[in-house]
Amino acid sequence: MERPIFKNIGTAAEDLDPSSLVVDIGALEANIATMHSYFEALDVKLRPHVDSHLCPAIAHMQLGASGTVAGIGTTTLGQAETFVQAGFTDVFVTNVVVSAQKIARLCALSRQAKMTITVDNQTNVRDLSASAVQKGVTLNVAIDVDTSLHRFGVGPGGPAVELAKTIVNAESLEFAGLTTYEGKMFEKDTEAIATESRKAIQQVLDTRQDIEKLGIDVEMVSVGGTCNYEIAAGMSGVTEVPAGTYALMDGRYRSHCPQFQPAAHILGIVVSTPEDGIAIMDAGGKTIGADIGQPTVENIPGVTVRSLSAEHGNLVLSEEGVSVGDKVWVLPWDVGLAFNLHDYAQVVRDGRLESVWDLPARGRYR
Amino acid sequence: MDTYRPLPGTPIQELDTPCLMVDLDAVENNFSAVADMFRDSSAKMRQHTKNIKSPRLARMQIDYGGTVGGVCTAKLAEAEVMVEGGVTDVLIANQVADREKIIRLCALVRRADVKICVDSQKNVLDISEIATAQGVEIGVAIEVDTSMGRAGVRSKEEGVALAKLADSLPGIKFLGVMSHQHLEEFTGNENRLLTAMGYYEICLGVRKAIEEAGIQASFISSGETFSYDAAIQTGEPIEVEGGTYALMGTRYSYMEEFEVANKILSTVISRPRPGVVIGDVGTRAASCTPVDPTVENMPGVTVDRILDNHIVLNTDDANELKVGDKFVLLPDYQDMLVNRWDQYVAVRKGFVEEVWDIPGRGCYH
Repeated sequence: MERPIFKNIGTAAEDLDPSSLVVDIGALEANIATMHSYFEALDVKLRPHVDSHLCPAIAHMQLGASGTVAGIGTTTLGQAETFVQAGFTDVFVTNVVVSAQKIARLCALSRQAKMTITVDNQTNVRDLSASAVQKGVTLNVAIDVDTSLHRFGVGPGGPAVELAKTIVNAESLEFAGLTTYEGKMFEKDTEAIATESRKAIQQVLDTRQDIEKLGIDVEMVSVGGTCNYEIAAGMSGVTEVPAGTYALMDGRYRSHCPQFQPAAHILGIVVSTPEDGIAIMDAGGKTIGADIGQPTVENIPGVTVRSLSAEHGNLVLSEEGVSVGDKVWVLPWDVGLAFNLHDYAQVVRDGRLESVWDLPARGRYR
Repeated sequence: MDTYRPLPGTPIQELDTPCLMVDLDAVENNFSAVADMFRDSSAKMRQHTKNIKSPRLARMQIDYGGTVGGVCTAKLAEAEVMVEGGVTDVLIANQVADREKIIRLCALVRRADVKICVDSQKNVLDISEIATAQGVEIGVAIEVDTSMGRAGVRSKEEGVALAKLADSLPGIKFLGVMSHQHLEEFTGNENRLLTAMGYYEICLGVRKAIEEAGIQASFISSGETFSYDAAIQTGEPIEVEGGTYALMGTRYSYMEEFEVANKILSTVISRPRPGVVIGDVGTRAASCTPVDPTVENMPGVTVDRILDNHIVLNTDDANELKVGDKFVLLPDYQDMLVNRWDQYVAVRKGFVEEVWDIPGRGCYH
C-alpha cells in the first residue's frame, strides 16, 4: 500500500511528498464541463468509463454533471463491485463474464444495482440465464460486436443477429443492445480516426437495423471514446458514448484532444545529477507506468525522458540549473495505467492541496 | 486495493482469476540455491526486496541462510515495511534526497540498522545536518556507477572526494561503496562472468582508492542475480544485491539453478475465431512489456498480443483452452508485475497453501 506523508490541506503542490499522483481539480472540472456540456444538448449521452481513474470521487463529479446516462462503465466485475459499494446504481461492465464464480458475483451485485455486461457466444448466454433464473435476478446483456480490435466479440450482421435472438429468448435476461471497442485510436492520425471510427460504428448501426427488422428493440448502442466522441455522437442511432480519459487526459490523447487539459501528473524529485546534462529522478516505471509509451516532463524546459527503469527516470537536460532536490512534474502516457499504480490521488486547486482521494478500484482485476 | 484470500487447500483450478501465484517449491529451491552458494564464502546475499515487497519472503531467505541477515530496498517506505515486518538490517540502495524523507529516515534509524547511498555533496550535507539535528547517526555508502549510466559517482577521484566529506561530517557514519549492475544481453556463461568481474572491479577500485586516502571502507554492496556467483570469485566480502532470483522471470532463464516462482493464473473468456483464445489478464495486471509472457506447459500455444485487460493466444488445437479453462503465464520479469498486486496466493503442487499480503506494493515514497 502506498505510504505518502499526508500534508496539511493548503500545502503547496510542489511540497507534496514525491513520488505522488497529483490531480489538478480545476483542470478536471474544466474537462468535465467541456465534455458534459457537449452532450447536454444532444439525445446521445455520455457514460463515464471509470477504468481510467478507478476513483469514486471523480465518478461522482462526472455523474453530478449534465449530459450523462446516469450510469458508469467499468472493465472488470471487481471494479463494478467497488463502485456499487460507493453508491453507483447503473454499471455497464464492458467485458464478458464467464466463470461460475464471477456469474454468481454478478447476480449478487445485480440486486444492488442495474448491471449490464457483454456477451459474445451462445454458451455464455445459457450460463448467465441459468444463474439468473436460479438467483431470481435479471441481467442486462449487450452484444460485443467485433468491428476492428479483433479480441473477443462476434462479427457484425448475421452472427450478432443470431446471438440477439438467443438473448431475447433466454429467461431472466434483458437484451440491452450493442457495443464495440474500436481499439487504440490514439495511435492514428486525425483523418484515420474519423474514417476508421465511422467504419466501425457503421457496422454496429447496420447490425442494429438487422436486429430491429426482426422486431427486437435495440435500446442501447454504446460506442466511441475520448478521441472520437464527436464522430460517434454525430451518427444517428448511437445512444451513448463510454468515454473516460477526457476527465484527466494523458500523453496519448493530448495531441488529439486539445480541448481537454492534462489534469493528472506524477510529482517526482531529482535525486542525482551524476554528469553534465543528466538528471536522475526518483520516479520510474513503477510509479508512472510506461508499458506502452514514455511520459513527458512538463516543468523543466528542454528536458527529455531518455528512459525509465523500475525506480528511476533518466532525464536528458539541454539547459543548466537542475539540481538535487528539484521537483519534476511528469505527464503519464497512459493515465489509466498510472492511476492503477497508486492508492491515493493528492488533489490540488490553484496549486494548493485541497483533498486526498482514495482509489479503491486499483488492483481489482478480477 | 484487492483483498483476495482463498482458503488454504483450494485447488488452483478453483481460484478466481487473474491471480498472482507464488509456487512454493520453486521459491524454496531458489532460496536454497543462494544459501548453498554463499555458505562458506566471505561474500553473502543481501536480498533486494524491491522485487518481492514482502517481509515474509525476505525473512524466508534470511532463515534459509547465505545472507548477511539483512536486505536491500529501493525506497524509504519499503524500508519501513521491512522493519515493521521484523527485518532489522536494511540498506536503501538508492538516494534519499527529499529533506522530509531524511527526517523520516532518522526515525527509522532509531529502530533498526538502516543505511543509505549517496552520490552528491549536497545530499551528504543535508543528511549530516538533519541527522545531527535529530540526534542520530546515519550510515552512508557511496554509489558507484558501474554499468547503468544512472546515479553514482563516475570516477575514483569523485568517490574519494565524497568519502572524505562524508567521513568528516557529524551525523554520518561512512561505510563504503555500493553499485548496481546490469547485463545488457546474455552471450554465454563465460562472458556473463567476465562482465560481472569487470563491474565488481570498478566498484572495488573506488573502494581501494578511498582506503588509500586513509578512510576505512569495509562495506561493499554490489552485484545482481546474474552476477551473484562471480562475487565469490573476487574473494571480497561483497554483499550481493540479488533480487530477481527469488521469484525469477523467463528473461533470466540462463540462470538455470533458479526456477520461475511467480505465475499468473488466467481463464479463457472467449474463443471468438478458430485458433484464437482470449484470456482475462492484460498489461494492467501483468505489466509484461516489452517481452510477452509464455504459457506454461503448452508448447503449441503462443502469445499473439497482450492488451490492457486481455491476452490473445493462438493455438491450432480446438480442444485445448476452451472457454472457462485455465492456463498459467510465466512472466518475462516479475518486478513491475508484483507491484500491481496486493496479495500473493502461495501454492504447492496445485493447491493453495497460504495467502500473503504484499505490503511493499506502491511504496514509492
